[in-house]
Amino acid sequence: MKTTSKRKPNFRKLRAYAFDPSLSLKLDTAEVNEIEYTLPWEDLEKGPVGSYIEVIDYDPTIDRYYEAVDLNEPYILVENGIRPSESNPKFHQQMVYAVAMTTIKNFEKALGRKVIWSTRLLSDTTLYEEYVEKLRIYPHALREPNAYYSPHKKAILFGYFRSKASSLDIQMPDAIVFTCLSHDIIAHEVTHAILDGIFRHYNEPTNPDVLAFHEAFADIVALFQHFTFPEVLKHQIARTRGNLKNQNLLGQLAQEFGSAIGGYGSLRDAIGKVNPKTKEWEPAIPNPQDYKRTMEPHVRGSILVAAIFDAFLSIYKNRVADLLRIATGGTGILPEGELHPDLVNRMAKEASKAAKHVLNMCIRALDYCPPVDITFGDYLRAIITADIDLIKNDDQEYRLAFIDAFRKRGIYPTGIKTLSIDSLKQKELDIKFHKSNQGRSFSSNIDMNDTTKEYMAILNKYLKEYGDDIKYVTERSEIYRITTEYIRGNYDNPSGLVQGLHQRWAITIEEPGTESLSEMTGLAFHPGFENLGIKTDDQFYFPRFSIQNLRLLSRVGPDGNLLNQVVFSIFQKSGVVMNMDGTIGHFIPEVDPVPPNGFVMYGGCTLLFDLDDNSLKYIISKPIIDVEKYRLDGKYEVDEDRVRAQYNFQFNEGLEERSLYSKYFGVGLNNNFNEPFAMLHNH
Amino acid sequence: MKKINRCKVRMYRAGTGDCFLLKFYAGTRRKFTMLIDGGVWQGSKEYLTPFVENIKDATDGKIDLLVITHEHRDHVLMFDRCSEIFETFEIDQLWFGWTEDDGDPEVAAWKEKYGDKKKALSFAADRMNQLINDQSIRMSLAGNQAENEMYDAKVLFSDVVNGFSELHAAGFDGQKIYKGGLKGMEVVKKLKVNKVRYCRQGEIIKDIKNMEGVKFYVLGPPNMYQQVKKEHGKEGESYDHNKDLEVNDLFSLSVLKDELEPLKDDILPFDREFVIENDQMGKECFSVSNSQIRYEDPMKEWRRIDHDWLYSSGNLALRMNSLTNNLSLALAIEFEESKKVMLFPGDAEFGSWESWHKIKWHQGELKTEDLLNQTVFYKVAHHLSHNGTAASLGLEMMNHSDLVAMATLDFTNISNGWKSTMPNRKIVKELLKRTKGRLILLNDEEVYSDFEERELISTVIEKEKARMNDAEKYEFDRDFDIPKSIKVKTKGQIIEKPLYYEYAVDGR
Repeated sequence: MKTTSKRKPNFRKLRAYAFDPSLSLKLDTAEVNEIEYTLPWEDLEKGPVGSYIEVIDYDPTIDRYYEAVDLNEPYILVENGIRPSESNPKFHQQMVYAVAMTTIKNFEKALGRKVIWSTRLLSDTTLYEEYVEKLRIYPHALREPNAYYSPHKKAILFGYFRSKASSLDIQMPDAIVFTCLSHDIIAHEVTHAILDGIFRHYNEPTNPDVLAFHEAFADIVALFQHFTFPEVLKHQIARTRGNLKNQNLLGQLAQEFGSAIGGYGSLRDAIGKVNPKTKEWEPAIPNPQDYKRTMEPHVRGSILVAAIFDAFLSIYKNRVADLLRIATGGTGILPEGELHPDLVNRMAKEASKAAKHVLNMCIRALDYCPPVDITFGDYLRAIITADIDLIKNDDQEYRLAFIDAFRKRGIYPTGIKTLSIDSLKQKELDIKFHKSNQGRSFSSNIDMNDTTKEYMAILNKYLKEYGDDIKYVTERSEIYRITTEYIRGNYDNPSGLVQGLHQRWAITIEEPGTESLSEMTGLAFHPGFENLGIKTDDQFYFPRFSIQNLRLLSRVGPDGNLLNQVVFSIFQKSGVVMNMDGTIGHFIPEVDPVPPNGFVMYGGCTLLFDLDDNSLKYIISKPIIDVEKYRLDGKYEVDEDRVRAQYNFQFNEGLEERSLYSKYFGVGLNNNFNEPFAMLHNH
Repeated sequence: MKKINRCKVRMYRAGTGDCFLLKFYAGTRRKFTMLIDGGVWQGSKEYLTPFVENIKDATDGKIDLLVITHEHRDHVLMFDRCSEIFETFEIDQLWFGWTEDDGDPEVAAWKEKYGDKKKALSFAADRMNQLINDQSIRMSLAGNQAENEMYDAKVLFSDVVNGFSELHAAGFDGQKIYKGGLKGMEVVKKLKVNKVRYCRQGEIIKDIKNMEGVKFYVLGPPNMYQQVKKEHGKEGESYDHNKDLEVNDLFSLSVLKDELEPLKDDILPFDREFVIENDQMGKECFSVSNSQIRYEDPMKEWRRIDHDWLYSSGNLALRMNSLTNNLSLALAIEFEESKKVMLFPGDAEFGSWESWHKIKWHQGELKTEDLLNQTVFYKVAHHLSHNGTAASLGLEMMNHSDLVAMATLDFTNISNGWKSTMPNRKIVKELLKRTKGRLILLNDEEVYSDFEERELISTVIEKEKARMNDAEKYEFDRDFDIPKSIKVKTKGQIIEKPLYYEYAVDGR
């Protein structure tokens, strides 16, 4: 019987560990450690190989392949996958697939668009880059307690190793530990890969926060993805009986998730620890000094993880307050004995819901982050702005919970005067173009000169065209193809000619002569840009810039409101030299040789364009020029604060604070030519 | 009998590595000679001979006490290269840490296990070298943007691993002997001596002939095996920070496997039924086709991971390095009357320093902290690296106003990768503060005090010296001696330099 129009199922359910195998050995956690991951159905080849990932179980340490699982086998299908087992590599393949896909889907839901992996950069300068359809996963690639995402191979390599049990009651002594069986490690590494696909430059340590952010963000995703499984929470909540007011439970749980397999626990140490005297777990008291002093990416990252977790706890507390009042008749004291299962269910649901919300907020914020040189403060602003944009009515006070948690840890964004929702929200622009019978009309809530208006008009048209072209495209490779055409321009195909923004801008405006565009973006678009160490475009007399991360996104808010936006980043490089006398000089990157004490400073801005409104909403900038100075004196100079901060970090502070491993085996601060995440994890 | 009250400390300047000759005096009479280590990162017999001859001249061929702190090439290479000269010495006592007592079954078991790892490190280093030489690495990176930079990074990594491999395991006359001791160490163990002593942490050694008024406090090595056990079970303790070598067991197994032999069970992480044997590939290609086709796709060669696992050797190298450093015999040498201390910690790292403070000395109220407070001479551990000197449990306790420090760092003769860890800027700064510039580097050429390389460390040291008062200046100039330069041959070149620096410690 052959039917081509067979209805496909909506979901594929796969069994896997909720944590990692160690918890299956403990009786009290065994039952919750096995959960079903529900994934959207996709056709799978043996491996499994799907549209986003390909699992290839080749073990180079012994030069052998392991049998690959066929998830379409009927017996496997009816049983929702292979039964969790450490000793069966086919289950390992199934688990990495299940967790990786769950992570990808969480991102797609929050971002309102498809996940596209970062391209492979080529030595061939005309081709420049190559589309990567599938992230590759090697479940058994190393023999060490580590796993890492390789940006060069677009692959995740998982290690395994023999361990003396870190605690004898949960691990067999001398057992082999597989990192590919830990939910947290898989989610962590996949997040690195997704983030690399969005912000390639977040591997560049330009300030102490950048690498810390990469690590912390990956951990935040792993942690909250965990909390979205109500089964896991239910069990734990039931166990605590009358101790419900003690919100430490979730903190302890969060930390236990991390520590089960060693190395990855360190990011959660800032949440709290077991008091050696009382043997009780206690949340850590945040110390604002930590953020000032600690430079090592993991310790620093742990501050961010703790801040987000703190926000989550406040949100959860707020959400269950009424339940507790009902259950205790307003006394706050629960009767003896076990909790009512309904109460347990409801509380677990609230925790899981809060976790989902926090996870979404954290991921969504990415589109509101500057494309380079991110700091934790920038991230806080991004979280708040993104949330306001989508959710108008914050009746549960989520935003305040975030602000409060960051404030307690001394994380403040630079350049704002007070710490409030309004000041944290990025300044909203409203630059609009209308086409009517009278021709084009223009409206804007900020002043700009005519040339800039011209630039903006071109930009608006460009983004609108892009939005229209891509609106109904769902195939990832097709999205990539069209987007790349818009970024680079497509001149080979006269019938489907697409002009890139470079051409549109450079051709229309013969002489770069706009002040406002520089002022708005913080990048050098003014005459005399060469003096700030900016390269001239190969074809036009125009400052070199690049466009990255051009994406269309459509998000649905809780009130059913729809957000259709085009987001993209403009990116510029300035060659900077720190002279012996403390003054700042310039060189042109890729043209001049890098002088001693010279380095490249990246500037960039993320722009958000609202398609429905036809208006440019936000420009989130890491400037190259000192905008303030320009406004005061009308002079274009490089942003000295940024130059000095980057210099101080890259030539001094940061070098000293590197891990021993990276000092010995790395090349300076930037290990992007090696395996940056392997270096980062070996701390 | 007059008590010892002065010691001339001679730091030999062959290159990065330790070789210290200590001459003890009672008044003007030399009473006792002591040699601590005889090592350098690199050097031929021809190059090292003048140094060893100088030791012989200075001691009249008689060493009362030879101390070997630990088995690293930069502490024992001279014995390897110049064994004939050392064999002519008359040596009374030879001291090691207890971990060199090969007769102890616990030590023997440890050495067996450790030897395996040593061998694995050497094999991995060789393999990495080979892959670079036969262009495999270059080819595997071809086509990537920045392929040259990526290649350079891999070469650097391999060089550093090879450096660590040589530090731990260099065989006889170019032959690779991996498992046993370094040749220099073997030579030392075969020297004719009157008495061998294996020192234990917490021992106080006194009443040594001709050493009236001097006491030796054994600070390290700690009781390592116990400590390894203790490091388990800490909640949240990460494996990376764990000094336990077992983590590398599987890695060693696969590095050391015989390529031609069939795979043994202990090397496989799974039951054999799941492993597809290479020779079955053709027959049962149905079961693997997809993975194999994808992995071996010629267009996707850039995604292969054939060699990446070898880089785990970096982790192993660091772990072994720290372990061996922590086995250092660390001695505090006290002038009994003035209580002044000379501190020779070998290359002890934080773990060892930390354990010193748990020692019960059973001598009045004495605490290790007191010994550190009284330190007037400090041989900087591990060539000024960050790990070498503990901060709050070490340097910050050395607050004697007479403190002088010697550090065996030489950028012209140093292992790959060390330049980026040494000198640690914070430690240099702290030492300069505490010694008022009386920090003597084995060779300050090319060593900068900052990452920007704007200020040479020698300039900073001179500046700091201005903080000494006139009396201190006078005394330091009087007590510090630089002999005239001697011609030595190295790598076919003749260079001129003083063979040693000498500083006289006033123990009164």
